[in-house]
Amino acid sequence: MSMTNTHTTACGTEPFDKNYCIGYQVHHEDWSPFPRVNHLRQTFLDGKYWIDIERLRLVTETYQKYENKLPRKVLCAKAFENILLNCTLYIYDEDLIVGEIAAPAKASPIYPEFSVNWIIEEILNSPFEERAHDQFYIRNDEERAEIVELCKWWQGRSVADMIEARLTDDQIKGSEAGEKIFQTNLYHYAGAGHLSLDYSRLMSLGFDGLIDEAKKYKAALDMRDVEYNNKVEFYDSVIITYEAAKKYIERYAKLAEEKAAVEKDPKRKEELLGIAKSCYEVAGPAPKTYWGAMQLFNVATELLKVEGNGHSISYGRFDQWLYPFYKHDVDNGIITKEFALELLEVEYVKMNNATKLKDKGSMALRNGRGFGGESLTVGGVDKYGHDATNDMTMLCLEASVHTRMMNPWLCVRMHKDTPYELLIKTTECIRAGYGHPKLFNDETAIKGMLRKGMSLEEARDYICVGCVEIDLPGKEYGWHDAAYVNTPKMMEMVMNGGRSMNTGKQLGPDTGSLETYKSFDEVLESVNAQFKYWTDQMCSSLCMIDNCHRARKPLPYLSGFYEDAMKSGHDLTEGGAKYNGIGPQASGLATSTDILCTIKQLVFEEKKCTGAELLQAVKDNWVGHEKLYAYVNSSKVHHYGNDDDYADELFKFMFECYCKNVAGRTTPRGGQFNPGVYSVNANVAMGLNTNASLDGRKKGEPISENMGPVHTAFSSHDISGPTALVNSLTKVDHSLASNGTLMNLRFPQDAVSGIEGRDNLANFIEEYINKGAMHVQFNVMSVATMKAAQKKPEDYKDMLVRVAGYSAYFVELGKPLQDDLIGRTELHF
Amino acid sequence: MEQLTGNVFNIQRYTIHDGPGLRTELFLKGCPLRCKWCSNPESWRLHSEPGIYQSKCISGKLCGACQDVCPEGDIFTFSEDEDKLIGIDRTKCSKCMKCYDECPSDAIKLWGKHMTVEECMDVIRRDKGYYDRSGGGVTVSGGDPLVQSDFVAALFKQCKEEGFQTCLESTFYSKWEEAEKILPYTDIIISDLKHMDTKVHRKWTGVHNERILENLKRITDDNREFILRIPVIPGINDDKKNIEASADFILNELQGRIRVLQLLSFMRLGEEKYASLNMPYQMDFIDLDRESFTEHVNEIADYFNSRGIHCVVGTKEKE
Repeated sequence: MSMTNTHTTACGTEPFDKNYCIGYQVHHEDWSPFPRVNHLRQTFLDGKYWIDIERLRLVTETYQKYENKLPRKVLCAKAFENILLNCTLYIYDEDLIVGEIAAPAKASPIYPEFSVNWIIEEILNSPFEERAHDQFYIRNDEERAEIVELCKWWQGRSVADMIEARLTDDQIKGSEAGEKIFQTNLYHYAGAGHLSLDYSRLMSLGFDGLIDEAKKYKAALDMRDVEYNNKVEFYDSVIITYEAAKKYIERYAKLAEEKAAVEKDPKRKEELLGIAKSCYEVAGPAPKTYWGAMQLFNVATELLKVEGNGHSISYGRFDQWLYPFYKHDVDNGIITKEFALELLEVEYVKMNNATKLKDKGSMALRNGRGFGGESLTVGGVDKYGHDATNDMTMLCLEASVHTRMMNPWLCVRMHKDTPYELLIKTTECIRAGYGHPKLFNDETAIKGMLRKGMSLEEARDYICVGCVEIDLPGKEYGWHDAAYVNTPKMMEMVMNGGRSMNTGKQLGPDTGSLETYKSFDEVLESVNAQFKYWTDQMCSSLCMIDNCHRARKPLPYLSGFYEDAMKSGHDLTEGGAKYNGIGPQASGLATSTDILCTIKQLVFEEKKCTGAELLQAVKDNWVGHEKLYAYVNSSKVHHYGNDDDYADELFKFMFECYCKNVAGRTTPRGGQFNPGVYSVNANVAMGLNTNASLDGRKKGEPISENMGPVHTAFSSHDISGPTALVNSLTKVDHSLASNGTLMNLRFPQDAVSGIEGRDNLANFIEEYINKGAMHVQFNVMSVATMKAAQKKPEDYKDMLVRVAGYSAYFVELGKPLQDDLIGRTELHF
Repeated sequence: MEQLTGNVFNIQRYTIHDGPGLRTELFLKGCPLRCKWCSNPESWRLHSEPGIYQSKCISGKLCGACQDVCPEGDIFTFSEDEDKLIGIDRTKCSKCMKCYDECPSDAIKLWGKHMTVEECMDVIRRDKGYYDRSGGGVTVSGGDPLVQSDFVAALFKQCKEEGFQTCLESTFYSKWEEAEKILPYTDIIISDLKHMDTKVHRKWTGVHNERILENLKRITDDNREFILRIPVIPGINDDKKNIEASADFILNELQGRIRVLQLLSFMRLGEEKYASLNMPYQMDFIDLDRESFTEHVNEIADYFNSRGIHCVVGTKEKE
């Protein structure tokens, strides 16, 4: 066996090969060895989601007082200050770490600086309480009326209002307001996010050190600099926000002392005094202890979500920047390893508190009520290329499997020398079936970072922010996740001469249609031409949106953490970061690929039908074309995902065609556009809006997800097992998608049970990495899932059940056999 | 000379049960046994044949491609309610497979495709990295691969030349000479003890067991890497007497020289395959309480282990 020969002495509190469980377990509430953590977790899970009015009030108060009287950056800083000095503070029972986003746990603040029209519209016409999912509750009718009132003041003043005034008709027709070929919702209505601070820098400087830097740079400004005032305003605004942050931490220290004074339970009293101590420790100075570092981490990070509402605010290389504090405290007997883990788990649970209300459209693309995308990266190589695993790496995995919550989105970096112990511990977490961690491949991700113009040392320090986007903490303002491109929708233009399939209206250029193409090469040329046209529309829109953020919502608090912004005196929205990308991503590439397979094979090779007949079939939503519909969905037509070079070549064409049409463009902040290939779960919403397609999809069905294959109502197009699928998806160079690729794989519990199952999964992971894919995450199926699959088989089409000498798709088996398999599995585990 | 081909009815990549590690498994047509619990009835006959998957059929009237193309006339039956293909008159079917070729919807499946060694190798090679990492390789199963021993020998020879580990799963009912063609290129052998009493064996599998037992002895005499299995079928071979006789045979005749004894609990598998061939499923009479049966199989495993025979339930070692 050739499983990695590299070993590590790094360890957590449990053996590296401890088995936690196989697959999802229903109604299990005490995964953590720490009762406190289990209580905090349950309290969180039991609560409802609220809308909190406080931030809206305080920010409006500042703007009403100072708008047009203060420079924009200083105005933003003053609003931030007003919130931090006056918002309500919360210390929860049993908690050890403080600091929220100016709202209690599970309550969303309102960010009128970004957009308000949808808030007013939805409160009046489709209340948040009445949504089918992602409901939010407003506390009472008075607050409801006040929210509407305050939001009305903001109409015309928000970033979104400015964007809407500037979009051209051509840009609108392909956007979410038009045909939804591309959707720029996220930064149209909210902040950009998708970043991580350079925590090592923060931990060595503290807020005091950062303030000193700002003062030093301000004092050194040259009055002949044409941007002199602009830079003065920048430094002033940074200083205002960091002074406010210090006061906010002090407010918490005092509150903890007050609570301790009246606390009857001596143990809790001591904990409250510990909270106060950790707050005083970092209310200005750099932290000296593990607890202090964790406290500063929490406040500094949560305050990013007071300033703006961008999602995927991530936590850097957590095991790397936190390790010196851990080592110091453990070596000096200040804390035990167990306490280090308990505090980490408390913080993990706390990471779930922040909550974000989204508009209907964004919710459809990205449902979920958290901010989303809070990635915590561990493992990987250091800047010299050596393995960087340490005790914290192991503890971060243990905390994950002990808490099993949405946040943090644990990400383990893998490389050819990943130690055996880390590989096995990671595999055990995956086998536990709670959806974390996701895995990244250092070699490919580093190559992707190099494509963004970074040095090798920088590239090796990459992290994941959000779902799958690779990023350099404290140096990159990458606008990852900037837009979704519905490539099957764009293929409608290729099929139909640039005309809408719904209205027949001319939307894009006429680059030919299925009625006119004389060769398959003409089809591919047409795909490229449509890609160019629609990425032109999308990227120009994104540049304009970027400019609106710069004009209306600078981010001084965030910017001060970026060394290059501090040196240059430029806010991040002005290009203050070292790397200034915009990353829009393509969705549904497998759907588009199988569309091409159909055309190539049926029209130009088998001559089973004409292009015109195919066009009619999709226009008719396949009604009256049943034979053709069955055929394009059958195993007789080439499909992506089967290690079939015919189809995989076309996937490569689609992948590269998108990447090359996005890469190489310049952003308004002086950086470059970076293409991504993923849809997260937006493929469902996009499918709803997409007509029937030649891969055998009917109108409204989901388009293919991420890097995955096509599943239509009629059949799953990948029928050759996971190794074939992986071979297909690694025939493309993932690093071309420097904004990330995403792959979900599902395994039944049975396939990963037992020591051999564990090793098979670990070996599979190693080979997956070896083949050069960038990312993977696994789903391990459970009995509950199989039962759910029986109730709703259409959602579980690709769930393989494998037994000795026999294998089948679960939902294609008869009910008695399904029941039998369920029975066996339950008894087996 | 015509190129040597094998009749393969399934190639399963990423199998994890039949041999160590991650494997590619080839299932070959043809079997001398007719075990009533068999979950692969499509493997029995050596010739290719059409299988029917009713749910995939889009209707005889809308499509009817199978009827249009069949040279034997009207041999297809469609359901009255949904007009889906449910039967082929197998007595008239000439196995020309034209219906399979023309079926647009995968409702007619091809059981048995003639493939050259090179065509099989093309699939096998694609997962080399997975075998190398996991200690896996290639397994040939069936049916009984010894029915196509020349092909399997050529395939395994090529596998060994390219460094792939090979595993043969067979009933070992054939003459030893057939096995001998393959064994030089075989790393691991998997076979079954179905019943120790030859009369009972014949009743449930269609053949006597003497030659099988003799062949198994030769395997262990040669000290080959050998995994032995007992398919535990309730009321048929799970009684005390047969289990004790099985243990005696392993210890006395095989000298205990097996890597592991795997107990495969009876499951209702393959029903839809019987249906696809218009054959009756033969194990309907078994009405099983799964929980107590599992307990029973565990007890059998305990018994073998108490006799000093390393035994597991299923195909994997316990965690």
